[in-house]
Amino acid sequence: MITYIIKRLLISIPVLFGILLVTFVLARLIPGDPCKAILGEKATVEVCEKFEKRFGLDQPIHTQFFLYSKRVVVADFGNSIRFSRPVSQILVERFPVTIELALGGLVVAIFAGVFLGIISALKHNTSVDVGTMVLANVGISMPVFWLGLMLAYLFGLLLKDTIFWLPPSGRLTAGLSSIPFFEVWGWEVLKGTSKSKFLEFFANHYIFNALITGNWEIFKDAIRHMILPVIALSTIPMAIIARITRSSLLEVLGRDYIRTAKAKGVKSKNVVSKHALRNAMLPVVTILGLQMGGLLSGAVLTETVFGLSGVGRMLVEAIYARDYPIIQAFTVMIAVAYMFINLLVDISYGFLDPRVRLE
Amino acid sequence: MINKKLALGLISSIFLLAGSVSAGDSVSAKDCSYGGKVKSIEATGDLEVTFTMCKPDPAFRAKAAFTPFSIQPKEYLDSTGGGGSILENPIGTGPWKLEKWNRGDSIIYTRFDDYWGKKPSFEKLVVRWAADGAGRLIELRSGTVDQITNLSPDDFDSVKGDSDLTFIPVANPNTLYLAMTSTFKPFDDPRVRKAIALGIDRSRIVDNYFPLGSEVASHFTPCSIANGCAGDSWYDFDPDAAKALLAEAGFPDGFKSKIYYRDVFRGYLPEPGIVAVEFQSQLRDNLGIDVEVVVMESGEFIDESTNGRLDGFYLLGWGADYPHVTNFLDFHFSASNPQYGDVHEDIYGLLEVASTIANEDTARPLYTAANNAIKRIVPMVPIAHGASASAALNTVQNAHFRPFGAPLFHHTDPGKDTFVFMQNAEPISMYCADETDGESLSVCQQVVEPLLGYAIDSGNIESRLATDCTGNSDATVWTCQIRSGVKFHDGSSLDANDVVASWAAGIDQSNKNHKGNTGAFEYYSYLFDGLMN
Amino acid sequence: MSKLGKVSKNLSENIDEELLLQKPVSVWKRTIKRLLSKRSGKIGLLLICFIFIIAIAAPVIAPYDPHEVLIGKEIVKLKKREAPCIHVFGCDQAKPQHLMGIDGNYRDQFSRIIYGSRISLSIGFSTVSFAVIGGVLLGALAAFFGGWIDNIIMRMMDVILGFPSLLLAIAIVAVLGPGIRNALLAIAIVTLPAYARLTRASVLTVKELDYVKASLALGASPTRLLLFRILPNSLTPIVVLATLGIATAILDAAGLSFLGLGAQPPSPEWGTMLGSERNQVFSAPHLVFFPGIAIMITVLAFNLFGDGLRDALDPRLND
Repeated sequence: MITYIIKRLLISIPVLFGILLVTFVLARLIPGDPCKAILGEKATVEVCEKFEKRFGLDQPIHTQFFLYSKRVVVADFGNSIRFSRPVSQILVERFPVTIELALGGLVVAIFAGVFLGIISALKHNTSVDVGTMVLANVGISMPVFWLGLMLAYLFGLLLKDTIFWLPPSGRLTAGLSSIPFFEVWGWEVLKGTSKSKFLEFFANHYIFNALITGNWEIFKDAIRHMILPVIALSTIPMAIIARITRSSLLEVLGRDYIRTAKAKGVKSKNVVSKHALRNAMLPVVTILGLQMGGLLSGAVLTETVFGLSGVGRMLVEAIYARDYPIIQAFTVMIAVAYMFINLLVDISYGFLDPRVRLE
Repeated sequence: MINKKLALGLISSIFLLAGSVSAGDSVSAKDCSYGGKVKSIEATGDLEVTFTMCKPDPAFRAKAAFTPFSIQPKEYLDSTGGGGSILENPIGTGPWKLEKWNRGDSIIYTRFDDYWGKKPSFEKLVVRWAADGAGRLIELRSGTVDQITNLSPDDFDSVKGDSDLTFIPVANPNTLYLAMTSTFKPFDDPRVRKAIALGIDRSRIVDNYFPLGSEVASHFTPCSIANGCAGDSWYDFDPDAAKALLAEAGFPDGFKSKIYYRDVFRGYLPEPGIVAVEFQSQLRDNLGIDVEVVVMESGEFIDESTNGRLDGFYLLGWGADYPHVTNFLDFHFSASNPQYGDVHEDIYGLLEVASTIANEDTARPLYTAANNAIKRIVPMVPIAHGASASAALNTVQNAHFRPFGAPLFHHTDPGKDTFVFMQNAEPISMYCADETDGESLSVCQQVVEPLLGYAIDSGNIESRLATDCTGNSDATVWTCQIRSGVKFHDGSSLDANDVVASWAAGIDQSNKNHKGNTGAFEYYSYLFDGLMN
Repeated sequence: MSKLGKVSKNLSENIDEELLLQKPVSVWKRTIKRLLSKRSGKIGLLLICFIFIIAIAAPVIAPYDPHEVLIGKEIVKLKKREAPCIHVFGCDQAKPQHLMGIDGNYRDQFSRIIYGSRISLSIGFSTVSFAVIGGVLLGALAAFFGGWIDNIIMRMMDVILGFPSLLLAIAIVAVLGPGIRNALLAIAIVTLPAYARLTRASVLTVKELDYVKASLALGASPTRLLLFRILPNSLTPIVVLATLGIATAILDAAGLSFLGLGAQPPSPEWGTMLGSERNQVFSAPHLVFFPGIAIMITVLAFNLFGDGLRDALDPRLND
């Protein structure tokens, strides 16, 4: 098992290098000059020279890449050109929104998808099965941004004066703000240090923060604001997981050892839950990593529709504004997160399916 | 025995002390050759500041009321070096103290109980933002916000008919223009530019894409500004003449080009994408000109356009900063502005002279000639003066939107403890001196104040931190009397040195606090013709 | 005859009979038959034909030109973003009929949706063609030559797959500049690796088969072998993937256009139409609803067809 994990880790390293290289090259290839883009009419030659020195843009390209790689390893992403603030600080503020969204989407997709898939498989070829599969097919065909807009219209406008109303944008109701847990607990935290960034990162997950500080008002409010985006985002993965669960479970249920168990007199329920499910889940776990990528992609569109200031939306804006430090940092972070998740999926797959470990 | 030295030392230190109180800080340019308007700014008294100008500046009071020229404590500027934490934590004299800036989400202010003026009747002010008009209206309707800016034109009627909402027309004078950069072919040919001027049906655009209350522009400057409409009105729509002129210039079948714009909601351009496509249709149908619609990011667009680098048409406009014709004409048609390509002495020569004349009537013939020159040369085509509106809940007393500047929230009463305002976008920083976008200026305006200010319902200049600023007979020396007993949010008292320090940080490039966000201090530079030293 | 001989004679007689009873049926015929027997395949095929007909007959079906601005051209003055007016459903006969309403530039939305089908179909097919040709080529090269070529190509594929697909597509379009052609290229690059991996796996499997080894041993040219023997046998999963890939490509292109990076105005691409009217979802929901439905139906069609194709071509279901 350990060798397997080590092997997977080692393979990740060249991929990581490739990601860094690609991000660096892409950001440099974007046409346009950051100095002129940021400073506007004040961008004379002398001002730009100072500007380039300040942001290290005057060094030869391979030096820049080396410095860049060195800094990425220690998670120093430099300062945003547009906002003159450390990119790591901006990351700390923005990543939690995307994580909450993506995790929420994943959790909903897994639970709902697996549940629907199991029901469809057990009630194979009945109207429940057909209905669910039709819905699943429709689900994977829907553009996520369209679904988000339609949900916002339905719950934000049509159901406005009912109890079903849901807020169509933002993370919290105006006037409410989430107090970081370390402030609530009276910890001494110096602003701007790595420790503060680390703590802020967790505190910016409003739902988690409200939970551990026991603030039910914020907790409920934050969850209400997350409902629509999470539903929109989770639809496609949910449908895919439902279909795969169903087909996988059907296949497993048809296998010999299941028939043996049934013949032995094991109760149907136990057959399904103890014997069939575990094996049926393998293909689902396989695609989980892929779904995470889809969730991160979909997060960009969902954040745009629901006005959430997450990493995806900021990245698109940064690309428009040629803010190189943000483009590089955010892309690397997303790719690294994605790689890490895939690694976890691979490892857990190794747990679930012993055959893989021996490859 | 009195130690002579000690006595001398004591006496001279008393004099020095007295001197440093009465002859305070100052900043000055070496001489007026740097081309700018300001020669020196001196604290000529504990509560008096004197501005000495290189050239007459009759519009000084209007400019000094503008937010970038707000005052912060000298000690604070020194301790932050004019950068760093001052960008997100301004300290001012305003009715609101900054409590927290929740990045990406909101800005929260609390009432400043030692404010010199009318104190707010409620405790908390919250500013939020949402990029699209429909979203803002939804939040207003659901009661999660109390007032919004930039109402979508499509929503004007429904807000007017809604008994729970107040429709607030915004009287800020603005202009939308279709620009051409004459350094690129074929815009270098004046016949081509004139053909385009004749070939755009501006009424159709205003009738169909602008809200009720908008007007077709008869001149570049709106008529509500004195001398704005001096001279002949713009060309009427004449497609036949347009096609004939274009053919005469060598393009009987039109030509290919691009039209650039940025997708930012402004009072002069509420729906940029839609209007850009409309121009595309008109240019194609009326003149045979085939344009590709290109949307650019806001910062890049402003940079490329203002430097005259866009090789085609572009859509831009202007919202008045202060109520004077120089704010419109001088900025756009001056000798140093390359945004339309070539500069034209026929225009800027007249404007330079006219800007030194304080009396409107005396200046009129000059502005008449200047406007006529603009019409003849056609550096751009003025399209419309857009009506824009804000909306608020009925429960807010005295909800308003000033024609110049952001709303004065301490004059409103939401009937509850918290007032929530929603604007277009998040501010870039809260250091007014080094920002130009409305979203940043509106936010810092609640915390810091300039010497003068704009009235709540007109373009009149009122006193703020200065009880008044008076000029000498030829507007070359302006003296401002500072209000006494004004406190900053950190408890310190306002005096003339704070005023000098704040202005110096912006206008003096050699000043140690000249740092800011990007260091450009655009408004200091363009309103006073350049930064000194 | 010995007993064994008798048995074998009987056997061979039986076998001959059986072989005679079963007429040889081509793979294609069987596939199509199976495809049509399944409901999803049938519906998918029907929908695709429907969309194709709409696309081809667009000039006939669409009542207006998709670029035509209708200001001043209609008898009754139009309101911007007017809701649909369908005479059959009770809209006043005096008003001009607009089945899906008017958009923000006073154009008939129904006509634009109709013409948009042409764009979506061409997006789907061209992207997938690009990705298939590129991916198959790379995968085949990797599998055939093995060694460091294989390694490099597969690492490149890993790097592409290391990014969430839409984000990488956005980054590529940011470099190349917005526009439909660059968006197509970006999507093709991002979806390429799947075909490369599939081809490589298929070729690797087939490469080990006896007849291939035998042919190589006999001196057959590797290229001809690759092109005419190995690849055709690996085609099946590629065809299925490609069909589903058309669906994904249409969705991705709509997403890019929604963000303003794909098809540019005044192109009647469905994602662009959605994106430019998204701020009006609360006041003019028909301008968001119809383009979205159009995307959904088209994508659904290809998904269903792809599913049906996969089931039909699945060798495990052979009787």
